[in-house]
Amino acid sequence: MSDLNTFREETRAWLLEHCPESQRQPIVKSEQIWGGRNRKFPSADAQSWFEAMSDRGWTAPTWPTAYGGGGLSAEEAKILQQEMARLGCRPALYEIGIWMFGPALLAFGTEEQKLEHIPKIVRGEIRWAQGYSEPSAGSDLASLKTKAEDYGDHFLVNGTKIWTTNAQLADWIFCLVRTNPDAPKQQGISFLLIDMRTEGVSVSPIELISGESEFCQTFFDNVKVPKENLVGELNKGWDVAKELLKHERAMMSSMESMSEKEEFSLVDLAKQTLGVDAEDALNNAEVRTKIAALDMEMQAFAQLNERMFYQHKAKQSDPRLPLLLKHIGTKQLQRKDELLLEILGNKSLSWESPASSHTEHTVTRNWAFDKAHTIAGGTSEIQLNIIAKRALGMAS
Amino acid sequence: MIFNEEQSMLQDTVRAFVQEHAPVADLRAVRADVNGPSYNLELWNQLVELGLPAVALPEQDGGLGFGYMGLLAVLLETGKTVMASPLVSSVAAATSLIQLAGTDDQKSLWLPRLTSGEITATVAVQEGRHYSLSAMQTQLVGGEIKGSKSMVMDLAEADLLIVIAKTAEGKLAAAVLESSKADFDAQRYCLMDGRKYSDLTFTQTSVAPGNILGEGADRTAEIEQALNIATIATAAEMVGGAESLIERTVQHLNDREQFDVKLATFQALQHRCAEMYCQLELVKSAVFSAFARLDRGKDIHKAASQVKALANDYYQHISNEAVQMHGGMGVTDELDVGLYLKRSRVCNQLFGDAAYHRERYAKALGV
Ligand SMILES: Cc1cc2nc3c(=O)[nH]c(=O)nc-3n(C[C@H](O)[C@H](O)[C@H](O)COP(=O)(O)OP(=O)(O)OC[C@H]3O[C@@H](n4cnc5c(N)ncnc54)[C@H](O)[C@@H]3O)c2cc1C
Ligand SMILES: Cc1cc2nc3c(=O)[nH]c(=O)nc-3n(C[C@H](O)[C@H](O)[C@H](O)COP(=O)(O)OP(=O)(O)OC[C@H]3O[C@@H](n4cnc5c(N)ncnc54)[C@H](O)[C@@H]3O)c2cc1C
Repeated sequence: MSDLNTFREETRAWLLEHCPESQRQPIVKSEQIWGGRNRKFPSADAQSWFEAMSDRGWTAPTWPTAYGGGGLSAEEAKILQQEMARLGCRPALYEIGIWMFGPALLAFGTEEQKLEHIPKIVRGEIRWAQGYSEPSAGSDLASLKTKAEDYGDHFLVNGTKIWTTNAQLADWIFCLVRTNPDAPKQQGISFLLIDMRTEGVSVSPIELISGESEFCQTFFDNVKVPKENLVGELNKGWDVAKELLKHERAMMSSMESMSEKEEFSLVDLAKQTLGVDAEDALNNAEVRTKIAALDMEMQAFAQLNERMFYQHKAKQSDPRLPLLLKHIGTKQLQRKDELLLEILGNKSLSWESPASSHTEHTVTRNWAFDKAHTIAGGTSEIQLNIIAKRALGMAS
Repeated sequence: MIFNEEQSMLQDTVRAFVQEHAPVADLRAVRADVNGPSYNLELWNQLVELGLPAVALPEQDGGLGFGYMGLLAVLLETGKTVMASPLVSSVAAATSLIQLAGTDDQKSLWLPRLTSGEITATVAVQEGRHYSLSAMQTQLVGGEIKGSKSMVMDLAEADLLIVIAKTAEGKLAAAVLESSKADFDAQRYCLMDGRKYSDLTFTQTSVAPGNILGEGADRTAEIEQALNIATIATAAEMVGGAESLIERTVQHLNDREQFDVKLATFQALQHRCAEMYCQLELVKSAVFSAFARLDRGKDIHKAASQVKALANDYYQHISNEAVQMHGGMGVTDELDVGLYLKRSRVCNQLFGDAAYHRERYAKALGV
């Protein structure tokens, strides 16, 4: 038996032993475990599953064991993912430290920074927020104005960030700040880590069209940040940001498979809602065609990811393909949401009324929330610009 | 999901050959010779020398053992120059039919001659305007074929004609005829892709029992599988064509200046090209996945419909956009883009249009 087969068998056995039955049910949003100083577990089962996973470093399967990660190869990590999916295991930890910040810190951080921050991310002890966008710097991120001035042993930070997801819950924030106002835009930016408890940091929540309030405006008013919190070189923060963005886009394109939210089988929901004829065909021919058409494209997207995985394994990666993921994945997700709304009819028009069920409310909230996916992390238009220029080599 | 080393080398070899010897000009020559062959016989003989008719089959059936992924590597390249060849009719469709549905005797009678390129074969399956297996009317009952077939590829060059028909029990059967000797009416015509097709009428064509694949056993599943293979092979060629169109279009936009700048700098065009490229990589991934499944012995019923519906829709879209972005030149016959446009529409009708495959896929999905 090959090593990978052995690994698969052992992983399956381990998961069966350590993942309680209750943690193998589809996850609901209120039971997701995020990192944080004030982290709470919804149940003892959830806690034991989380601890088993984080003790093994499997909350960050491919990160080096020296920093508490799982130390798995890409192949092993894929097997772990497959086995977890097969058994229906819930993701042990949701955390942008895992998805985005950790990989960038591993690439650019000093040894001290890695030892300080990475193990805490793996163990879910710290919740991270991302401080990039500003009221006047969105797609054109490099025009950001929040400034960090050099005061010898520390920086003094002043300015404001906006759309900071979950800033109200975060312990730390990684920020892009201007450290040289005279250099060309991209070359005057640094990457700084800021403890949210520092004096002068404040947040104010913003309500979304989905009725939720998951993001904030974050204010920095004469905030003192120690020099050792600079990641990468001074004025080279853009390089760190670009590395991080790669992970962010990859993560966003797979939003759906990560089952960050409750998911519904389009087919089941359509059949229950619309009914079937004697031959088990959906009673609504138009919806039936739309489901088939969308499912084919979603399959193709999964196959694109799979093809990239095999290319990577064979060291033959086509550098153009990762550029496509965010745009395609988020567009498909929105199409699915629209189709769900169409299927539910007028039951899809509220997120609180007693006239609709929990499932219907969730579909509706997802629909509204997912509008953000084609905006956050680089809008679709920006993705298309990048594809045209970098994948197709179109003149600019 | 990706080519192994041998398959990649095969792709390189075929690419070099096709680019040098079978540019789009070759298809123009085929098209101009209205009463001539459906493809350039000399070029085909050179592909035979490369061993292409044997590429997919396993060694025990006289093949080269590249697997169907090997055939994919070939089709992506021939698709790029819309090269006319019997790769779909004979190599993908007819050869797999005999290999999958034939008895050992039938296989040893025909496969070696097909894989060596000594003969070619074609398949008559479609009827009327739209491909549909379930609507098929042609009967094979009491050793006689009755019915009519449409859009049969490459018949004049084919030594064998395999007719798909329904048995008295409503099962599928495949009858192998020697096309020059069998008794049926054929009307040959050119379609807009520059190739020749035939409509056939069988009034009472008799078939010897030994010429029915499987010799009496029910071969419905094998026949469906062979047609699935022909379907994804058609899609593979379409993907090659779509890829070439995107390259040509981007090249044109990078070359041509209007308003004192390259056309490629206009965002309205950039975004549309980027969308076309997303479609290309999606359908290409689906095609790779379908061929990989085939080589692993997995079912491709649903995959075939996925791949063909996507290829139909995307190639149609990409070819329309390519014409549009070439401006006035785009609607001239001199520009090769028009040949891809027309080929895409012909391919749409081969082995099922998008509506047919979406319907078939919906059934397989359980809606
Ligand atoms: C749910 C959500 C969570 C977020 N979380 C965070 C976070 O945690 N931290 C953080 O820093 N930021 C976060 N953001 C902010 C996000 O990164 C920005 O919203 C995004 O970069 C777009 O910037 P903007 O909102 O200023 O839009 P703008 O840049 O003003 O864009 C408006 C419109 O113009 C289009 N446009 C802009 N430039 C071009 C161009 N060159 N060509 C064509 N079209 C163009 C855009 O595509 C868009 O459609 C979040 C956003 C959302 C929606
Ligand atoms: C059937 C036919 C009959 C014609 N008859 C006549 C006639 O009788 N007399 C005559 O003088 N002309 C005639 N024309 C020419 C016609 O006016 C031009 O073809 C047309 O103006 C487009 O110019 P072009 O072909 O050079 O394309 P280009 O200008 O090169 O355009 C190529 C592509 O780039 C796009 N594009 C160009 N600029 C931009 C931009 N700024 N932003 C976004 N996209 C852009 C175009 O939309 C097109 O998709 C005819 C053309 C046709 C097809």
